[in-house]
Amino acid sequence: MILAIETSCDDTCAAVVTQDGEIRSNVISSQGIHDRYGGVVPEVASRHHLELIGPVVDDALAQADTTLPELDAVAVTQGPGLVGALLVGVSTAKALAAAHRLPLIPVDHLHGHVAASFLKPSEFEPPFLILIASGGHTLLAHVRDHGGWAGDSIQVLGATHDDAAGEAFDKGARMLGLGYPGGPALQRLAEDGDPKAFAFPTAQQVAGLDFSFSGLKTSLLYKLRDLGEEEAGRRRADLAASYQRAIVETLARRVERALDQTGVQRLALGGGVAANGPLRERMRGLGVEIDVPPIRLCTDNAAMIASAARHLPALPFPDYAALDAYATGERGL
Amino acid sequence: MRGVRLLAFDTATPATTVALAIANENVLTRRHEPAPGERPGHVSELLPLALALLAEAGLDVAQLDRLAVGIGPGTFTGLRIGVATARALAHAHDLPLVGVSTLRSLAAGATVHGSGTESPATLAVLDARRGEAFAAAWRAGNAAQPEAEPLLAPAALTPEALAEAVAALPAGVLAVGDGAVRFRDVLAAAGAVVPADDSAAHRVDAAVHARLATVMELDARDTVLPAYLRLPDAELALRRRRATAS
Ligand SMILES: [Zn+2]
Repeated sequence: MILAIETSCDDTCAAVVTQDGEIRSNVISSQGIHDRYGGVVPEVASRHHLELIGPVVDDALAQADTTLPELDAVAVTQGPGLVGALLVGVSTAKALAAAHRLPLIPVDHLHGHVAASFLKPSEFEPPFLILIASGGHTLLAHVRDHGGWAGDSIQVLGATHDDAAGEAFDKGARMLGLGYPGGPALQRLAEDGDPKAFAFPTAQQVAGLDFSFSGLKTSLLYKLRDLGEEEAGRRRADLAASYQRAIVETLARRVERALDQTGVQRLALGGGVAANGPLRERMRGLGVEIDVPPIRLCTDNAAMIASAARHLPALPFPDYAALDAYATGERGL
Repeated sequence: MRGVRLLAFDTATPATTVALAIANENVLTRRHEPAPGERPGHVSELLPLALALLAEAGLDVAQLDRLAVGIGPGTFTGLRIGVATARALAHAHDLPLVGVSTLRSLAAGATVHGSGTESPATLAVLDARRGEAFAAAWRAGNAAQPEAEPLLAPAALTPEALAEAVAALPAGVLAVGDGAVRFRDVLAAAGAVVPADDSAAHRVDAAVHARLATVMELDARDTVLPAYLRLPDAELALRRRRATAS
């Protein structure tokens, strides 16, 4: 059994997973205190992680009906993410492991999102393509094997040039006066609108399999200006539906292209944006075998980190004592 | 009867300081000080130094009687690395944990280092960055008494506020810490005595934490948190916006 800890952004997470991918516990404490700032504040997130991590680990062990000495290893998200937030998880994991002379397995957060599909009940096996889309990342990758970034188990096919898909949802929602975080609110509003009412750009000028959402954001801003406050207010649902469709199409067209180019006919979705109804629907229409893990495994969680850890080398005690975290962008992604 | 086996550390300043008390008078220590211009080494130094001391003493974490951690004030990230490590070590073996004010330890240490013997009071000052200082003061000998009230409660102060605070303390107060070096001119002008820059009295030393922690009340593990003494910038900005809006 592996205990995993994940604190890369604003969710404080711990989970216990067995070697064959059965989730014994998956505790997620969403801080829910960043809405007042209109976005995740690293210092605030880090302070809350420190307060929550002890009780969250306790819950994860209790729900799994196990104790630290019974574990085979401790795993932890090493990066990428907010470095101050990651350091709370890394310091905690190292100390818990060292106190019982357990091995430690550092895990890359994005490898974790990939490994969510390996868990029961999906047990979706490589090779497959994966689209990871959330407020923090937008990534299209070819998953050849279970391993991480060392070797060529995962090959990045496309990434975003600017905003992440989830950020595009949040920023659009804010422009439409829906507050933060606005993704789910925008999706609800869009249900009453016509997705073809307005033509928003889908980053067609971006070559290959990369993404871009900045043009879309600007386009909505101009559209709101052109319509004027009153008309824009009257057509909010149409605007939301059309804006959402543009995000979905931006994602879907790269996925279609990638399926064509690689000849791989299997697709997994990960990240919080995978909860978006129209995106799921659009992907199901692609006619390939598709895996969408339960939403608690799509958004940030520690079960996916434990899942990835199962396929990575463990550092024996005390070789990990000096382990540091790495920030977003520090190792490429 | 053997002494209390106690592991103490502090990561509030750029230094990483670790001490292991294994018998009444026997305290092993390790320290990492970043080179000028180098980032603090807390995350890569703290656990290796602690494990090295335990190995030197032939002890396991489980054999400790108590843990103590410096709760600052100091660098936010450094404090969290120290407190997260302490809480997890305590958690792993259900060990008692004590949070020690880094300022109190600094003030208590000044006497240990022999500089504070004739001073009426000790003022601990840490560099709080942004041109400010974290400071607190105790009457001579009181910093080591857990129940003694400080003359100046821990606070983040501008140089002007620091000068005012010093003026209200007994004349000839001894000022120690990296902030005392940084604000030497302000402090001296206000009547404080600051030891030479290279004096050991300016260094936070976990051996002093260890000495204080043996006689302190235990804290519930999950209540040991950093004494930030400052709100996050985003919260301050939000409060300013709300204040101007209303
Ligand atoms: Zn994520």
